[in-house]
Amino acid sequence: MELLNQIPSRSSSVVTRKTGNEYIIVPVTDNIADMDSIFTLNETGAFIWEQIDGEKSVEEIIRLVVDEFEIDRDTATKDVLGFLSTMKEYLIIKM
Amino acid sequence: MREYCLNIAGYNIKVKSAPGGPLLGPSARFEGSRVQSNKHDILIRVHTGQFILPAGAERVFHAPFVGEREGKTFIRSEEFWDVYRDKEGGLYICTIFPLEESQDRGTLIFSLQSDVWELWIEGKGGKIDPLAYPLDGLLLYYLTVISNDIMIHASGVGFEDRGYIFSGVSGKGKSTIARLWHDAGARVIHDDRLIIRKMNGEYRFYNTPVYNNDKPLEAPLSAIFLIEHGMENRIEPLSGVQAVSQLLANCIQHNWDKNITGNLVNAITDMCEKIRVFRFYFKPEPSAINFILDHEHSQKTYR
Repeated sequence: MELLNQIPSRSSSVVTRKTGNEYIIVPVTDNIADMDSIFTLNETGAFIWEQIDGEKSVEEIIRLVVDEFEIDRDTATKDVLGFLSTMKEYLIIKM
Repeated sequence: MREYCLNIAGYNIKVKSAPGGPLLGPSARFEGSRVQSNKHDILIRVHTGQFILPAGAERVFHAPFVGEREGKTFIRSEEFWDVYRDKEGGLYICTIFPLEESQDRGTLIFSLQSDVWELWIEGKGGKIDPLAYPLDGLLLYYLTVISNDIMIHASGVGFEDRGYIFSGVSGKGKSTIARLWHDAGARVIHDDRLIIRKMNGEYRFYNTPVYNNDKPLEAPLSAIFLIEHGMENRIEPLSGVQAVSQLLANCIQHNWDKNITGNLVNAITDMCEKIRVFRFYFKPEPSAINFILDHEHSQKTYR
């Protein structure tokens, strides 16, 4: 599946800050209204975010999520693809 | 007058007419903030005339003139103020003055590294108010940026030796809760906009001049409440990224520069490690104040 071979990378136009096991992500734009688009990542989201390094493929990230959280592949695939889709929509990652 | 000094939120702001510059006529709302001081955190030199932006300066932020009707915002005019950045990193705020009849346009030339800023005003003659709306708020905002402080949509009160902030965007009840506190004998620091600063390791919050003869007010920061109207009074603690993200959404910010946004996120995160943050659903009646006071007395971290 072609999507699984893609390599996501983080946009340079975001600010991130880790607090405990969670992240806050703020897209930097030229519009006040976009401050409504502040993202918080729970532990799972934070783990996926940390794997997005411009080198790992989607497939590799899914495999790491399966290992880290001991969940089945279908659940991990759904979680990772859903996360990447949202992040891409808000230009927080590129694929 | 040719120069004056203001102390707003603890910042010393000196305003001085440049050689050949205009007579200065600050608005009455700054009267209570006037001080005698030779020191300044920022010096603003005021010139009259048109300032031409350098070639290659790019617009990095645009703000339309926004109005409010029945609790909803709408754009009254696309033209209002913009931030430009030149190739050397110099910054420019170009604005109109929608509430002034004698001033047409202004350009504030500044950088986040310099404590001397230049202000050019195109007017129709007569005295110039260098901090006419919207320059007053913009200048204060960039002072908070330089100082890693926080400017927030919030009302705030001092009660006994404590201070509470009630933050929310328009329509959430900032003025309502400030009025309830006032009726309960509290000192209202402001009912709409505050500056939070970390001073000598302690967080304090300050008003900014909005109404004529506003006096500088401040209080220690004990807790922050993110307010919502509710069918009953109810408090929920917020922590971690939930507290940071929801406070961040209520902060005044221009969000065009990664470093500025990053510093604000860091400042709020650091504050949330020391200051308690809650979601507060409240009924617009005196019971809301008693509910908070009871809650505060029950907190182990009560201060």
